[in-house]
Amino acid sequence: MDEENEKNYETVRIPVTLYKKINERIKGTGFTSVSSYVTYVLREIIAEDEEEEEKFSEEDEERVKERLRALGYLE
Amino acid sequence: MVNYIVSGLERSGTSMMMQVLYLGGMKVAFDHKRKPDEHNPKGYFELEGGKIINRLMAGTFPMEKYDGMVIKVTAYGIKYLPRGFKYKVIYMLRDLDEIIASMSKMIGEKLSNEDKKAFERLNKYALKLIEDRDDIDYITVRYNKVIENPRREIERINEFLGGFLDVDSAVKAVDPSLYRNRKEVKN
Repeated sequence: MDEENEKNYETVRIPVTLYKKINERIKGTGFTSVSSYVTYVLREIIAEDEEEEEKFSEEDEERVKERLRALGYLE
Repeated sequence: MVNYIVSGLERSGTSMMMQVLYLGGMKVAFDHKRKPDEHNPKGYFELEGGKIINRLMAGTFPMEKYDGMVIKVTAYGIKYLPRGFKYKVIYMLRDLDEIIASMSKMIGEKLSNEDKKAFERLNKYALKLIEDRDDIDYITVRYNKVIENPRREIERINEFLGGFLDVDSAVKAVDPSLYRNRKEVKN
């Protein structure tokens, strides 16, 4: 990684045993390093959470219905 | 035939769009149960006094009666549009802060940030439902763009509808003086 690219990354510490397990797991896959695998997994988890936050929930629905009643759009 | 629907969040310009289509010569279905008021001086252009969603939820709204006509079904009602029809939806979009300000004024109580988030998610949810249904063809229309350049936007809507609007008449429905609760743009 060159110096310019280095600025876009932070170091995260994980247990050695976990590191070794991941290292074994990525053998023969498209992942070129433990870091790239961990980054991929974390991005997936965060994207799922963000999707959940975007969801029109039952709580939202109740809130909207209450407001629509006040506005005269629901009985 | 097609059922035409004007939708969007409440206070997003749905009544204005109904009036545009009405003056443009479309068959627009509404009753006079809810009278024009300070919030909608030109009228609400609604059926069932605005409570059409309740009828849709109960499955008792006679959609077949409105074949070829325009009706207003705001965003929350989209999920209750019955199957078995072909719809063309004009979905109104407006700055959410302006919508919330307008709703707050109408209710007489300041809506919270949680309310705003819920309506934002409802908007996305309704648009996704529309996108996912193969019996719905739709166009999104931005309220402020209609105010800025009514002719251009109405011509775009006319193309979507099939070209039978009288655009010259329809343009007359747009009254920029009714663009209240305008968000201040800070330079």
